[in-house]
Amino acid sequence: MGNFIGKAVKRREDARFLKGAGTYTDDIKLPKMTQSAFVRSPYAHAKILSIDITEAEKADGVVAIFTGKDPCGDYGVPCGWQVDFKNGETMREPKHPLLAKDKVKHLGEAVAIVIAETLEQARDAAELVEVDYEELPAVTNPLKAMEKDAPLVHDEWEDNAAFDWCIGNDRAEVEAALEKAHHVTVMEYRNQRLAPNAMEPRSYIADYDVNGDRYTLYTSTQNPHLIRLLLCAFALGIPEHKVRIVSRDVGGGFGSKIYHYTEEALLTWASKEIGRPVKWTSDRSEAFLTDAHGRDHVVKSKMGFDKDGKIVAHLTDEYCGMGAYLSTFAPAVPTYLHGTLFQGVYTTPLIHLNVTAPFTHTVPVDAYRGAGRPEATYLLERIISKGAQEMGMDPVEIRLKNFIPPFDGVEQEGYQTQVALQYDSGNYERALKKALDKLGYEDFRKEQKKAREEGRLLGVGISTYIEGCGIAPSAVVGALGARAGLYEVGQVRVQPTGKVSVFTGSHSHGQGHETVFAQFVADKLGIDMADVEIEHGDTDQVAFGMGTYGSRSLSVGGSAIIKSIDKILEKGAKIAAHKLEAAEDDLEYANGKWTVKGTEKSVSFGDVALTAYVPHNYPEGLEPGLDFSSFYDPGNFTYPFGTHIAVVEVDKDTGKVELQRFVAVDDVGNIMNPMIVDGQIHGGVAQGVGQALLEEVVYDEGGQMITGSYMDYAMPRADDLPMIETDNTVTPCPHNPLGVKGAGEAGAIGSTPAVVNAVVDALAHLGVTDIQMPLKPQTVWKAMQN
Amino acid sequence: MKIKGNYTLSTTPEIFWQMVMDPDVLEKVTPGIKELKALSPDNYEALSEVKVGPVRGNFKGNLSIKDKVEQEGCTLVIDQKSKMGNVIAEIVMTLAPEGEGQTKVEYTGEAKMSGTLASMGQRIMSGVVSTLSKQFFKSMEAEIAARKA
Amino acid sequence: MNVTITVNGKTYTHDIEPRISLVQYLRETLDLTGTHIGCDTSGCGACTVSVNGEAVKSCTMLAVQADGCEVTTIEGMAQNGEMHPIQAAFKEKHGLQCGFCTPGMVMVAADILKNHPNPSEEEIRHGLKGNFCRCTGYHNIVKSIQLAAETLNE
Repeated sequence: MGNFIGKAVKRREDARFLKGAGTYTDDIKLPKMTQSAFVRSPYAHAKILSIDITEAEKADGVVAIFTGKDPCGDYGVPCGWQVDFKNGETMREPKHPLLAKDKVKHLGEAVAIVIAETLEQARDAAELVEVDYEELPAVTNPLKAMEKDAPLVHDEWEDNAAFDWCIGNDRAEVEAALEKAHHVTVMEYRNQRLAPNAMEPRSYIADYDVNGDRYTLYTSTQNPHLIRLLLCAFALGIPEHKVRIVSRDVGGGFGSKIYHYTEEALLTWASKEIGRPVKWTSDRSEAFLTDAHGRDHVVKSKMGFDKDGKIVAHLTDEYCGMGAYLSTFAPAVPTYLHGTLFQGVYTTPLIHLNVTAPFTHTVPVDAYRGAGRPEATYLLERIISKGAQEMGMDPVEIRLKNFIPPFDGVEQEGYQTQVALQYDSGNYERALKKALDKLGYEDFRKEQKKAREEGRLLGVGISTYIEGCGIAPSAVVGALGARAGLYEVGQVRVQPTGKVSVFTGSHSHGQGHETVFAQFVADKLGIDMADVEIEHGDTDQVAFGMGTYGSRSLSVGGSAIIKSIDKILEKGAKIAAHKLEAAEDDLEYANGKWTVKGTEKSVSFGDVALTAYVPHNYPEGLEPGLDFSSFYDPGNFTYPFGTHIAVVEVDKDTGKVELQRFVAVDDVGNIMNPMIVDGQIHGGVAQGVGQALLEEVVYDEGGQMITGSYMDYAMPRADDLPMIETDNTVTPCPHNPLGVKGAGEAGAIGSTPAVVNAVVDALAHLGVTDIQMPLKPQTVWKAMQN
Repeated sequence: MKIKGNYTLSTTPEIFWQMVMDPDVLEKVTPGIKELKALSPDNYEALSEVKVGPVRGNFKGNLSIKDKVEQEGCTLVIDQKSKMGNVIAEIVMTLAPEGEGQTKVEYTGEAKMSGTLASMGQRIMSGVVSTLSKQFFKSMEAEIAARKA
Repeated sequence: MNVTITVNGKTYTHDIEPRISLVQYLRETLDLTGTHIGCDTSGCGACTVSVNGEAVKSCTMLAVQADGCEVTTIEGMAQNGEMHPIQAAFKEKHGLQCGFCTPGMVMVAADILKNHPNPSEEEIRHGLKGNFCRCTGYHNIVKSIQLAAETLNE
C-alpha cells in the first residue's frame, strides 16, 4: 500500500461542484448560439398525415424548422450490438430516424425541431406547428406484443420480435430434471420498467465551424469517443477527424447517458444547416418520454430442488421489451449481460434461459444501473428464497447448501459456469457470514417472533448476488455481437517538470475519477497527488476511449493507465541508468526516485522527466519525451459479489413498508478509496430499493405514459431510506493489475431482491409467497388480504 | 378516465333542454369557450382556453350532440386538440325532473387523453374536469337566474 | 417589466419578460449557472435558493415575484474563497457525487440548520424531502448536515 491507495482521500472535484462552478452542458453559452424545442408525438402509434409549419415559421425569433421531410429525416442512429435469432435470421434492426417521417412509434417521438434565438421563442413557435395524426392501436406490454393479433411496431416484419436467444444447457435435459425434482418453485412476474432519472437532464450543443469545416458537440454523455464513432461512422456519415465531442461535468448517468440519442445527431446536422451553434436541453417531462428506460422483463421461471434443498435445474422464459427501436446496447442487456449470470453463486448443474425480445410502442429500453444483472439477480435471489419458504427451510441454510465453494483464481482455477462465463475469484460464504454477523441474524429472528406475537410484521430478506462487470474482453463480446471493442485507453504524459497529466477514455459523471485515478497514479509513480491531473471527456484531448458503464472505469480504464505507467517507468529507468552510469538491472524505483541498489546514488523522477525533454546527455538511440498511451483489453470480466440484507416492518393496517435496516457486505476486489466505494454502494442500494418499493413507469393500454413527472413517478426521497450499513470482504481480482472488480452497480444489483424477500418474509405466516414490484402499500395490503 | 357526476338545477327539464340546445347559451356558460361555431345542426367547432391549476392550453376541435331524446338526455361527443395533448370524450347526460321545478342532471362518460394531459396524471385531470363541470353548472345556474329575472 | 433584485449582495435591475422564472433569470440573465434545473414540476429541488432567508424552489417563483428581494444562491455561500461550513462538511463527508443536486442540497441544508440548529436524523431527512439526489442514497448528505451542525455550533 502506498500513500494514497486504500485511503479515504477527499475528492478534488468537490470544490467546483460545491461552489456552483461545475460546467454542465446546459451551463455553456456560445456566441451566436440558438436554442431549440421539439414537437413530439402525443400518441404511441400514429400515422403523420400532415405537418404544417407556416404559422410557426412566422413566429418571433424563429431561425429554422426541420421535419422528417427534410434531409435529416433520412438519417438514423444505429444499434451497437447484434443478437441474431436462434434460427439464424439476422436481428431485425429498424431504422431509428432522427425525426419521424410517416409514422410515430412511441409517445414523445420527435416529429419536428424548432430552432430560434431564445428558448422561449423556440417553445412558443413549437406550439404553432400543426401536426395531423391518425391514431393507431398500440402495444406496450412485451408479452402482449408477441400475441397473434398484436399491433405491429414495424410493418416490414410479420411479428414484433426483434430477436430471440437462449443460453445454457439443452432445454429438454433441463425439463427432464425438473420433472424428476423433489420440489419445483415457480415464479411469474414482470420486472417493471424504470426511468433512470439522472438528475441532470440530457443536454447538447452542436457547433459547426464553417471556416474550419469542423463540428463540436458538447454533450452530457458517459462515453464521448463512442458517441463520436457512432455519430460519424453510422448516423451522419461525417469524417471522424472533423468532429470533437466534449463532455465535461455530467450530472449522473446510470446508463441512460451511454446511448447515442437522435437529438445529438440532429443538432449536429442542424448546426451545419444554419451555420450557428444550437442547444437543446431536455426538460424532465421530455426525459421521462425519451431517455432510454430500464428493465421491462416478463418472466416465467421454474427452479427444481432435491429433498435436501439442493438446486437441480433452472428453466426460464422471458419476454424482454425493447421499446420501439433498438437503442445502442439494448440487445446485449437481456442476453449477454443477463443470461450469463444465471449461475448466480450456486452450483446449479442445469440451466436454460430463453429470451424473446419484442418491439413495443414505447421509448427504447437499454442498460440502467446493472443492466440485465439486476434482473438476473432478482430472479435468482427471489426464487431460491421462495423455494426455501415453500420447503420450510431457512433462506440462509438453502444458500449455504448451494454455494460455489471459495476459489481465488490463482491457486484454484476460476469457476466455469453453465452459462458461458468463468468467474475470476469468489468467496460467497464469507460475505454472507459477515453480513449475518453485522445484522445479528439469530437475534433478529427472535425479535421477529416476539413482534409477530404482538401483531407486528417484521421481515428479513437476504440476497447473495454476483455480477459480471469490467466490461469487457473485446474478442469475447465481438463473438457475442458487439459492434465495437470494449478495451480502454489511458495516456500518461509526464511533463518536463515532472508533473503528470493523465488522459483517460473513462468518463466520470459522479464516480470521482479525478481523485481515485490520481491516487493510484501518484502511488505507482511515487509522487504527490497534487502533481497528477486527470483529464477526461474531450475527444480532442484524449486519444481514444470507450467510456464508463458496466463498472469498468477502474478495472479497464485504470488498467490502461497502469500499462502506460509501466512504460513510463521502463523508459525512465533507461534514462536514470544513463544518468547514474549504472546498469538498468542495478536500479530500483521507489518513492519517486531510481536508486542504484545498495548505494545512496539516486536520481529523481523529476530529473528524469526533465532529461527526457532536454536530452542533452541522453542514452543513445532513445527517443526524447516521456509520454505513453496504452490500450488495455481485459482478459476476463470481473465478478464482484456480496450479501445484502434488508429488515422491514410492514404496517398491518395500510401495507406500507418501512425499510428499517440495510446491511451491505460487498466484495469489489481491492479498494482504492473506501469512501467512494461506500458512496457508490449507498447510491446503488437507494436505486435498488427504489425499484423494490416505489418506482415504475406505467404506460396505459393506448401507450400514454401516466407516470411522466415527479408527481407520479416515485423515486426514493431522504425519508424513504435508513442509513446503509456497509462493509466489505476483499477477494482481489486475479487478472488486472490493481486487483479491482468494480463497485458502480453492485448496490443496485444486490439490493432489490433483499427488500422484496424481507417483505415476503414479514408476511410469510399469512401465506404470502410473492408480491409484484413495486411494493406499494396497496399492493402489499392486497397481498395480505388474500 | 371516467367522468361521473350530477347536479341539481333550479329549472325544469324543458327549459334546461332548450338552453343546452342553444349554441349561444353554451358558448356563454361553458368554461373557457372562446368561440362556438355551428358546422351543422348539433355539430360545432369549438375554440377554448382552459386554465385550471397546472393545466393550461388552447383547445380546438369538434363538439357534437347525438342520441337526443328531448328533455330526457343526449350524448356529448368531444374531440379537442391542444399542444398539451388531445381529448376524446363521450359523455351521456340524462335529465330527470326533481322536486318543484328542478332538474337533476346526471352525467357519465369516458375521456381518453394523450400527451402531457395524460402523463400529468389522472388525479390532476379528474380534479380539472370536476372544477370545469362545477363552473359549467354554476354559470348555467346564473343564466337561469338571469332568465328568471 | 423592470425588476430590482439583490443577488449574493449585489443589486441588479433588469427589464425582463414577466413569464421568466427566478431560476431562468439567475442562469440566463445573471449567468449564475450554479443553480440547476432538474425538473419542471417543482419536485426535485435542484433549483433551491434562499429568498429573504427562506429556502425557495426558484423554478416555482417568477423573477418578478422576487422584485425587491434578497436572494442568495450557491455562488454566494463561500466567503472570500473559503467554503461555507456546510460546503466544507459536504466535501468532508462525501455528500455529493455528480454534483448536480448539490447546490440545492447545500441551500436546503442551510434552511434546515437555520430552523433546527441541532437537528435529529429524522428532522434532516424530513427537511431534505423536497430534494432529489440520485447518486448518494442521501446517506452521506445526512452525515454532511450533521457535521455542518456540529461545526456551526462550535
